[in-house]
Amino acid sequence: MNLEILNMEVVRALYIVSAVLFILTLGGLSNQETSRKGNLYGISAMLIAVIATFLGPQVSSNYGLLIILILLGGSIGLVLSKKVQMTEMPELVAILHSLVGMAAVLVGLVNFINPTQDYVGVEKTIHSIEIYIGIFIGMVTFSGSVIAFGKLSGKLSGNPLMLPAKHYLNLIMILAIIYFGHSFVSSSSIENGYLPLAVMLTISFFFGIHLVASIGGADMPVVVSMLNSYSGWAASATGFMLSNDLLIVVGALVGSSGAILSYIMCRAMNRSFISVIAGGFGTESTSVASASTDQGEVQAIDIDEFKNMINTSKKIAIIPGYGMAVAQAQFVVNEIINILKTKDIEVIFVIHPVAGRMPGHMNVLLAEAQIPYDIVYEMEEVNDDFDNIDLSIVIGANDIVNPSALEDPNSPIAGMPVIECWRGTYTVVMKRGMSTGYAGVENPLFFKDNTRMLFGDAKESLSQVLTLNN
Amino acid sequence: MKIGVLKESKTNEKRVALTPSAVTKIKKLGYEISIESNAGALSNFFNTAYEQVGATISPVDDIFKCDILLKINKPSHDEIEKLSSNQTIISFFSPATNSDSLQMCSKDKLNILSMDSVPRISRAQKMDALSSMANVAGSRAVIEAAHYFGRFFGGQITAAGKINPAKILIIGAGVAGLSAIGTATSLGAIVRAFDTRPEVKEQVESLGAQFLTVNLDEDGSSSDGYAKVMSEEFIAAEMALFKEQASDVDIIITTALIPGKEAPKLITKDMVEVMKPGSIIVDLASQQGGNCELCEKDAIVEHHGVKIIGFTDLPSRLPSQSSELYSNNLFHILDELTPAKDGSLNIDMDDDVIRGMTVVKDGSITYPPPKIEVSAAPKQAEKKVEPIVKPVEKKSSVYPAVIALASLFLVGAFAPASFMNHFTVFVLSCFVGYMVIWNVTSSLHTPLMSVTNAVSSIIIIGAITQISTTDTVSLVLASIAIFIASINIFGGFAVTKRMLGMFKK
Repeated sequence: MNLEILNMEVVRALYIVSAVLFILTLGGLSNQETSRKGNLYGISAMLIAVIATFLGPQVSSNYGLLIILILLGGSIGLVLSKKVQMTEMPELVAILHSLVGMAAVLVGLVNFINPTQDYVGVEKTIHSIEIYIGIFIGMVTFSGSVIAFGKLSGKLSGNPLMLPAKHYLNLIMILAIIYFGHSFVSSSSIENGYLPLAVMLTISFFFGIHLVASIGGADMPVVVSMLNSYSGWAASATGFMLSNDLLIVVGALVGSSGAILSYIMCRAMNRSFISVIAGGFGTESTSVASASTDQGEVQAIDIDEFKNMINTSKKIAIIPGYGMAVAQAQFVVNEIINILKTKDIEVIFVIHPVAGRMPGHMNVLLAEAQIPYDIVYEMEEVNDDFDNIDLSIVIGANDIVNPSALEDPNSPIAGMPVIECWRGTYTVVMKRGMSTGYAGVENPLFFKDNTRMLFGDAKESLSQVLTLNN
Repeated sequence: MKIGVLKESKTNEKRVALTPSAVTKIKKLGYEISIESNAGALSNFFNTAYEQVGATISPVDDIFKCDILLKINKPSHDEIEKLSSNQTIISFFSPATNSDSLQMCSKDKLNILSMDSVPRISRAQKMDALSSMANVAGSRAVIEAAHYFGRFFGGQITAAGKINPAKILIIGAGVAGLSAIGTATSLGAIVRAFDTRPEVKEQVESLGAQFLTVNLDEDGSSSDGYAKVMSEEFIAAEMALFKEQASDVDIIITTALIPGKEAPKLITKDMVEVMKPGSIIVDLASQQGGNCELCEKDAIVEHHGVKIIGFTDLPSRLPSQSSELYSNNLFHILDELTPAKDGSLNIDMDDDVIRGMTVVKDGSITYPPPKIEVSAAPKQAEKKVEPIVKPVEKKSSVYPAVIALASLFLVGAFAPASFMNHFTVFVLSCFVGYMVIWNVTSSLHTPLMSVTNAVSSIIIIGAITQISTTDTVSLVLASIAIFIASINIFGGFAVTKRMLGMFKK
């Protein structure tokens, strides 16, 4: 059976259609209304690309196998997407990144051992470099994502791995990869290329592991976006290798998307990308934290007083942190909001860019609890407006509401933009105990005159507020 | 242990030491509570309300048998005589000026905790009844002034003519002064305030009053949280200012008190005489001799048409509010004294706050306590500096652009034409991606990541073009690639669809 219906020129034309649709996909995400259409564009773009290739001249046999593989993989993907909890999104995204990385490695290997085209001279050199780089990025994406998955799902410790001389270790690995790259490119036959390639695969496997393992838990949002970016570059590199412009275009789109997200996350923590990669947030800062002096006494309140504060407020800002999602408190929060609406009390949410464990994670968690997105605001939109807010409720957040980021130049988080809730009339912080956040920094907010602490499990406390309000 | 609450024996006292809502909280600490019948009646807390929250109404004699006695005013000599072994009393006591009572109490293993000896440190604010009563007194002082003042406080323009707003001078911006400022501004008056401590300026202005200063640089803050005695030049300048103000303002409220000392005389007879007839002076320091020369304790004196009010019972004139605040202070003290929440009292003399307020312990006098330094004043000074850390500004450098140009040139010089075609596509795509992604709303960043995840599986195209190979190893590897990329495509798009479906207005 041969289904080579389309010639290469038609396939290319369809690839252009597909590429345009992919750009529209990302464009669609500029707001909530068009986002669903955007996802549909993405699905059709992928469909067009796959069908065009399927019917094109490059596929001449094994059609049945191809369909079975796609259906099999597809059904696993669908099951995964149905089962995943919204709190587990970062894990899912991480493990899916690893699959893209692995696919890039495999495609690169097949292209190497079974070349479709003969290249000579400079073209051969460039092609070899493309293969080498494609496989390298794919492998780093793969092993890095697997470690990120382990860290995010709690199977591995979230603490940064601190090997002695780790920067030198990275440098040595990079130099080794370059060295073997040279011998790979200059190898005269395919067989001679196996050894340097195998060594490079091994080194880049450990390189990816080390890269992510040495990054601390607080920096996970950056890591996830960084791996997102790598998976794009891997696809792009594969495109160069196969001389396929669609792969180049789409890979570049994804790569720059991930890079921008990493940049946004770094900016939200006032950290440079280099220092995140260098790793170890929370390790260098512990000494500073312990040196902090007695800051006075926190003022604890109980549920009755909390409920009173809520009912006497006109405008309330809720500042959620990942702790809220861990306690699964967002559903109770939504019920409380609905009651407050009937009492004419305005409630808004204020979200810090690094509130969840991946960019935009908190928005998804709130959306899951059916909290309308038009009352969810970004930090910058509200920070100048806290004068008008009677009560800020901080649920399971710490570092993102730490005034020392602005007031104490010696603080490890100095310069990080934070939600300035202390400018409002009152702040209630819901917290299990007096522990510090990811960054291990004392939070002077807790000791402010207009801050009250409500200790205990956030969900339980909020449920009690709910029963008291009914 | 049992807590007893006595009805206040002082004449004209309307407050009660414990309100029903505080009873609820104190019971949670493990105590049983008995109240003298009608102890709270004058502040509108009736016996039934106490019984509802689980307190018992007991005759006076039974109350005196309780382990802990709660009161507001210092116990009278009669009351002290009725006390027996091991009892603890918590009330105002004024140990500095009340030495005969102090002597009487040094018997029978009595413990006396004096509410007016709570150290003024930030940790003890919630227990500081002097502050909470000063708050009530300050507010009430304005209301008393309004009552005796023959005019409106706020200005108006009516058909019958213009009404000028009242001008009020408040001397001393402590707790009482600030409370008076708040009440007076909200009634619409023009308020000016004076204090020797420059750091309160900000607080005064935040309440909408004007902060007056003399042209002399001297700081009146001290390490114990009160103002200190100023130099003679300063006082002279201050008095000149008051005299000038006296002829202009309608009402003066004085709150200047230095602990353990007679109140400073700030408003002299000749200042009163320059005030307009009908003006009012409320002297909150009258208990300690008054800030006004003509002030008489618990009386209204009229001089040249100016009424000078010297009430000392202002908190008691708002009995429900004062009782509520006082009993909250008591609760916080008992909370400190009962670390195990098991209803047994632990007077820990190593705790600064408890040490400070305990004036008699086990029958022996422990007053005065060793001095502790207060952090309030230096802390406030520190606050004003407030260094603001600016986020690190990324300086835009020309180097990246130069490097990019140079590397583009190198690529162009050496790479073959076929590579340059792909490279052009690549660079342009990066820019399209850059432009498009900045438009993505940050609330959709997670869906963005899951959809780009699915999209990056476009790599499946590469694997599909390899599937028709005859080489077995290649076939297996390509098959695996197709399989895992499909997981990614379907999983990524489906989970994105699921997430986007959740976003609702």
